[in-house]
Amino acid sequence: MNMVNLTINGKEANAACEPRTHLADFLRETHNLTGTHIGCEHGVCGACTLLVDGVPTRSCITFAVACEGAAVTTVEGLDNDEIATELRAAFSREHGLQCGYCTPGMLVSARDVILRMQDPTEHDIRVIMSGNLCRCTGYVGITRAIQSVIADRRARGIAAIPEGGRSRLGPAGSGNSGAASARASGSKVTAVASERKAPTAATRPAVRKDDGWKPQTTFTQSFTVAHPVDVVWDFFGRVGEVASCLPGASLAGEPVDGHVEGQIKVKVGPISAEFHGVADIARDDATRTGTIDGTGKDKRSNSATRGRIGYTVQEGNDPGATQVDVTIGFTLTGMLAQFSRSGLVQDVANRLIAVFVQNLEAKLTHQAGGGNGADAPPVITEFDAGSLMSSVIIGQIKRFFAKLFRRS
Amino acid sequence: MKPVNFDYARPGDVAGALRLISDEDHTVKIMAGSQSLGPMLNMRLVQPDLVVDITGIAELRDVGDGADAIVIGACVTHADFEDLRVPDVTRGALPSVARGIAYRAVRNRGTIGGSITHADPSADWISILAAVGGKVTLQGPAGSRTVAVEDYMLGALEADLQPGEMLVSVTVPKLSASARWGYYKSCRKTGEFAHAIGSFMVDPERGVSRAVVGATESRPYVFKDARKLIGDGKSDLRLDSKLADELVEAEGMADPINRQTHVAALRRAIERAQTA
Repeated sequence: MNMVNLTINGKEANAACEPRTHLADFLRETHNLTGTHIGCEHGVCGACTLLVDGVPTRSCITFAVACEGAAVTTVEGLDNDEIATELRAAFSREHGLQCGYCTPGMLVSARDVILRMQDPTEHDIRVIMSGNLCRCTGYVGITRAIQSVIADRRARGIAAIPEGGRSRLGPAGSGNSGAASARASGSKVTAVASERKAPTAATRPAVRKDDGWKPQTTFTQSFTVAHPVDVVWDFFGRVGEVASCLPGASLAGEPVDGHVEGQIKVKVGPISAEFHGVADIARDDATRTGTIDGTGKDKRSNSATRGRIGYTVQEGNDPGATQVDVTIGFTLTGMLAQFSRSGLVQDVANRLIAVFVQNLEAKLTHQAGGGNGADAPPVITEFDAGSLMSSVIIGQIKRFFAKLFRRS
Repeated sequence: MKPVNFDYARPGDVAGALRLISDEDHTVKIMAGSQSLGPMLNMRLVQPDLVVDITGIAELRDVGDGADAIVIGACVTHADFEDLRVPDVTRGALPSVARGIAYRAVRNRGTIGGSITHADPSADWISILAAVGGKVTLQGPAGSRTVAVEDYMLGALEADLQPGEMLVSVTVPKLSASARWGYYKSCRKTGEFAHAIGSFMVDPERGVSRAVVGATESRPYVFKDARKLIGDGKSDLRLDSKLADELVEAEGMADPINRQTHVAALRRAIERAQTA
């Protein structure tokens, strides 16, 4: 716990809180200022909007510790504010509220509109207020209330202040105090070593089979490698080596009866996950097809995934080349599944596969040159596109895609 | 909807920030205005051991004026552009686009450096800065380097940051008096992330004609010599829609409806600039 000092509604105030405590929770929990409402808690609904250093701010995605020294005004602090007083009367008159849940945020945002916009149209007001949601559909009344206060104030000769009176650069609430640090109770920076031990077998999910499971998302990819089909088929049978081509993947040991344990690390922007899991592997030499059924869990985000990868190895169009068709189906549940913008997942999967093909090609070439495949270092061992894909590699992958991939 | 309990540090200078993010044993995240990271922390998509708040670093909240460009600190906010606390050298392009980013309460804390580094394909800064020819400067253990905005973004949510590196500033060239620009984004709801973005900038005095198709599934498509596509700016601009469709397809956008939406966004960016 760490002390945070603010000026709240004109009075100096402080309280101890964790670094993770956002400003809305800080005000509600330590100062009983429950006028600040929490709705979506991820910056979309606007219910928690309040004034920080005089300008509207989302208090649910602003951390109290980051506002050290800032001046915060909640709806409770607007009792004697001139614009807010006029707005409250207008909200009553125009029926600008019903349940009242969105009202504190609405008043703060509406006050800002009246302060900054000289002569907005109804459309302008609707656009500028679109960051505050009302579920009783009170928008007509809210818009009218704002219009009437603006008309009244302009008629009294009070002009708008377009920049809202702010003269300083940078995020509202920041820059009011010097360097500082705050430790979380049970700080991970000391506890991390014990957390890092390998998960025990008991925590690993077993692969369930034949239970009618269907993947949520399925996509197929094809690529061609410039090596004979027998060589590629053999290579796909050596699971450890295949895994080493997949960036971030590693096995706990060699497979026993087609059963293997392993892990894969994936990093996408700020999100990083480390899935530990098991897989069952089946291969059919006659048709040169194989399947990998796996399940995995990321302890950190409490997310789970289940997937099935099917692959077919066949002769390519060019002599001595091999075409590999891969079908990847997966279901993601838990925390990470919330981040489900399919386009982004596809982009990440494409980049992952591109690196896999690059590594595979490098290994096969090394092997064809007489080297032992196991000795050849993979080109890229960790999927962290941010730090690994230099513009050079990107260019290579682009050419790779253009030449090898036919997206289905 | 509460984040994991992370440690917090607010360094007073860039050197201090670089020291903190060099810790390879822990998950360290840089935070500026927290308008993208905040939601991801609340949803526990991101579970850092340490959050490094860089908004206490004065030089990152500053703007420097040069002969042919201005240099904007990473922690300058969208509202700072909107309200012209950052001098406009782009004939209104950046203030106008800033006004359309999310909502005012978000713009009061969200920063230009944070938005670019977050590298959401649908975000506004990357597309407009790619059009006007913006650059970012990164600082790390090996010193500093400057790259074009469109090269800094590698893919969805991936910026070209080496370990221990951070974005410190954005450089925006001063457009000449005859320069024209346009920006159009297609959103179903005001303030949400765009489904398609079209943007361009022509500056005949400097011999520049650039067009950008943004809000793709990955990096924006940047056409650095767009004279054939939109014109050179010396006469009326006109989009060659057929060429635009071909170029967008060559960049990898396979879905024809998706292509049409993106080409339409670019066309509207040009049409609206004509009448402006």
